[in-house]
Amino acid sequence: MQDRQTLTSRLCALDKSISPNQVLLPFEFHLLPDDSYTLVDGIAAALDDRIVVFQNGEKIKDIPFSDISEVNFRVGVGCVFIEYTMDGFDFILCRSDMREKDIFAAAAKEINRKINGDKINYQYEENLNRVCPHCGRPYPPGSSVCAHCAKKTGYLLRLWEVAKPYRAMIFFSIILYFVIAALNLITPYINRILVDDYIKYNYTDQNAVPPELTSFLLVILSMVVVNVVIRLISMLRGITLIKAGNRLVVRLREMVFNKIQTLSISKISSRTAGELMNRVTDDTNTLQQFITREMGNILEQVLIFAAVSILLFAYDWRLALLILLPMPFVVIAHRLFWKFMHRMYHKQWTMNAQANTILHDIFSGIRVVKAFGMEKREMERYDEVTLAECKTAVRNETFFGKVFPIINFFMGIGEFFLLYYVGNHILEGTMTLGEMTQFSSYVSIIYGPLRWIANLPRRLVRVMTSIVKIYDILDEKVDVADKESAVDIKIEGYIDIEDASFGYDNTTDVLKHVTAHIKPGEMVGIVGKSGVGKSTLINLVMRLYDVNDGCIKIDGIDIRDISQSSLRSQIGVVLQETFLFSGTIFDNIAYAKPDATLDEVITAAKIAGAHQFIIKLPDAYNTKVGERGHTLSGGERQRVAIARALLHNPRILILDEATASLDTETEKQIQDAIQKLIADRTTLAIAHRLSTLRNATKIIVLDKGTVAEVGSHEELMLKKGIYYGLVMAQRQMSKMSPKNSDIA
Amino acid sequence: MAESNSLQNIAAIIYITPENSKISVKNDFLQLELTAPNEEGNIETKTYDRIFLHRAFPFDHPYSYISVLDKDSKEIGMISNVDIFDEDTSLKLRAELDRKYYAPVIKKINSVKERYGFSYWNVDTDAGPISFTLHDTYRSMLKVEHVRIFITDIDSNRYEIPNVEELDHKSYKKIELYL
Repeated sequence: MQDRQTLTSRLCALDKSISPNQVLLPFEFHLLPDDSYTLVDGIAAALDDRIVVFQNGEKIKDIPFSDISEVNFRVGVGCVFIEYTMDGFDFILCRSDMREKDIFAAAAKEINRKINGDKINYQYEENLNRVCPHCGRPYPPGSSVCAHCAKKTGYLLRLWEVAKPYRAMIFFSIILYFVIAALNLITPYINRILVDDYIKYNYTDQNAVPPELTSFLLVILSMVVVNVVIRLISMLRGITLIKAGNRLVVRLREMVFNKIQTLSISKISSRTAGELMNRVTDDTNTLQQFITREMGNILEQVLIFAAVSILLFAYDWRLALLILLPMPFVVIAHRLFWKFMHRMYHKQWTMNAQANTILHDIFSGIRVVKAFGMEKREMERYDEVTLAECKTAVRNETFFGKVFPIINFFMGIGEFFLLYYVGNHILEGTMTLGEMTQFSSYVSIIYGPLRWIANLPRRLVRVMTSIVKIYDILDEKVDVADKESAVDIKIEGYIDIEDASFGYDNTTDVLKHVTAHIKPGEMVGIVGKSGVGKSTLINLVMRLYDVNDGCIKIDGIDIRDISQSSLRSQIGVVLQETFLFSGTIFDNIAYAKPDATLDEVITAAKIAGAHQFIIKLPDAYNTKVGERGHTLSGGERQRVAIARALLHNPRILILDEATASLDTETEKQIQDAIQKLIADRTTLAIAHRLSTLRNATKIIVLDKGTVAEVGSHEELMLKKGIYYGLVMAQRQMSKMSPKNSDIA
Repeated sequence: MAESNSLQNIAAIIYITPENSKISVKNDFLQLELTAPNEEGNIETKTYDRIFLHRAFPFDHPYSYISVLDKDSKEIGMISNVDIFDEDTSLKLRAELDRKYYAPVIKKINSVKERYGFSYWNVDTDAGPISFTLHDTYRSMLKVEHVRIFITDIDSNRYEIPNVEELDHKSYKKIELYL
């Protein structure tokens, strides 16, 4: 995707009559407007007075804005379109593959603004799913860091910053690594003394001086001591490193979690809950594993390798070469083998995952399976996949069983050469038996980590990926942030929505130029069809999102100038989707006011109509709810949520379909109770069931993203507009139960 | 003859056929003139300036069971198979469908590189050489039939491999792991 500047200059080169400052919004497209498959090089642009379209360098369209009544973005399957309407008929402006979907959507929206006399809002450029300018690869969804081009060393340095409080511990354990590596090299040396001076001692030779028993014991003892010291230091090292690693990871995890909490809903919802969980747990875990286990190993193996190599070269460079030369081949052979095995096991793993999916499917849907009598078919389906998995597993294991010993044999073949070389030297008398033992120990020490080193790149990539992903979150820009000048206010309850427009994405504005004024003490009902933007409007009042245009004021202050904590602590919300946290009913009601007294909680529950059912539960207010807890019905959960919002004692109460799961009788009781409570508070209520709004002092009817009607129930009924239609339709539906129709 | 309370009698599919309709091109789109019973059950002829086509079974039957929608996405009726119309109309219907459903067919896979949870593909398609990226490779590959694969990339572009077994050996080896 090319940026605005490049496209502008390309466009001006194509048509010399266009000057760069005329080009308002240029964009690319890649497909012809007909059904052909070929990719083309297309460039289109909104100029100051018209739209031009160039296809492979030829101008194919040049339409003044005055001829166009509307521009539309339309999504096909695997392709996108921009269409325009002229004299009541639709035409295709251009078509592209999905690479350009974001810019197409934004362009359509902005061109419409232009046609309607507004200015183009260049904020859209921030939301485009752009590609890395370095490598051209697209950024991962919801991220703006390219995992390929991100400077790895930079991240490691930043990690080192985070590790500041634990640096001493880390240094200490690194020193211990050096000590252990050195001690490890001593053992073969003692071995050599043992063999040369004692075991190999020719006891039949009368002239030889017999070894002293005490010094022999001393040699044995020194071996024991070295061994014990190695173990002790390893223990110390392990403990230090685990402490440092764990603390570092806990700190990092806190940072990630806190960061996620400060992000706006729109940033958070661009990632799935699972993905966020992975960032907080899995990625930090990978890092922890790396620091506490693998990093130490790497260090140790590298140290030992370096030390042994130096020792070998110092002793006999030919011997050293003999040992070291085959190593690259061994490493490569090992890697190739595992790469191949990895493919085979991956296949097996996939099949296993498939079998598990089927199993999970069957068990979760067991009622359906049984109800339709499909047990036999499901059994067959499962048998089929497990059999296939079994076959693959057998094949893999057989192959592994046959090939792995052979590979192992070839990996150790260097030792035979060594034996030959060293044996020759011993026979010639230029080397002692003890020296041979010492060197074969070194060889096994040096060959030991080989397998491990072969896998090193993969491990490093994994941990680096995790670090990059963690920092991807930590570096995320906080979009709905408190201004530095943000103030804490005591809310009275005036809400002024002034010409507010908002869209969740670039495609369309959900709310367009909404204006409404609400006074303290008013209960405002918001009605309209599903998807018209009712919930969006209250999300904006809570400032879960920021408006794109216009503003929302509370008590005359733009909510972007009010601190979020002060704003939200005075707004009570009951959402349609009531979510109860794991914990007791009491905990859930007291969620937003942890210091609430028992009296307060019970009173709130009473007003919300929750007390009656809570008191009937065996554990009453101590009943565990949420995951693995007592299951409350939809209506019960809603009442707990209402109690939670009321306890908060909010100045502004927001009810989003808060009583939809209740029967009308209970709803009326709760409403009457709330009515007393909200005397001087502002209430915004969304309801499909219009009887819910019987107490509303004002009703705002939303239609097609704008305010269509405002007024009291009576006024709107007289007007015979949209609201009248809705009431009539519901009255029709509920004429069986007269209780419901008392609003109409 | 269907029973009086059979499913068909409760909600019948309205078929658009050469007998009850006329499909023509209006500007860039298709126009439909349909003679069918309206909501009150009276036969009337209505003209739709622009119709939208949608495949009911996009993978299995790309040119059969085509839902015909009006501007407000309300279904006008269904076309059982585009070939029941005369050749000219059938071609127009196919063109309209092919324009909406864009999925280049992969002929050859030049490279697949997996890194950091993403895979980077370079392929030759009937629309020319294309490079694209997948997030979570395994889940981006939809196995429609035993050998037929639809790949959805990070931008939601689609690519089709009609028969993986007919790919050349080298291409097949590159994607074998994900199948």
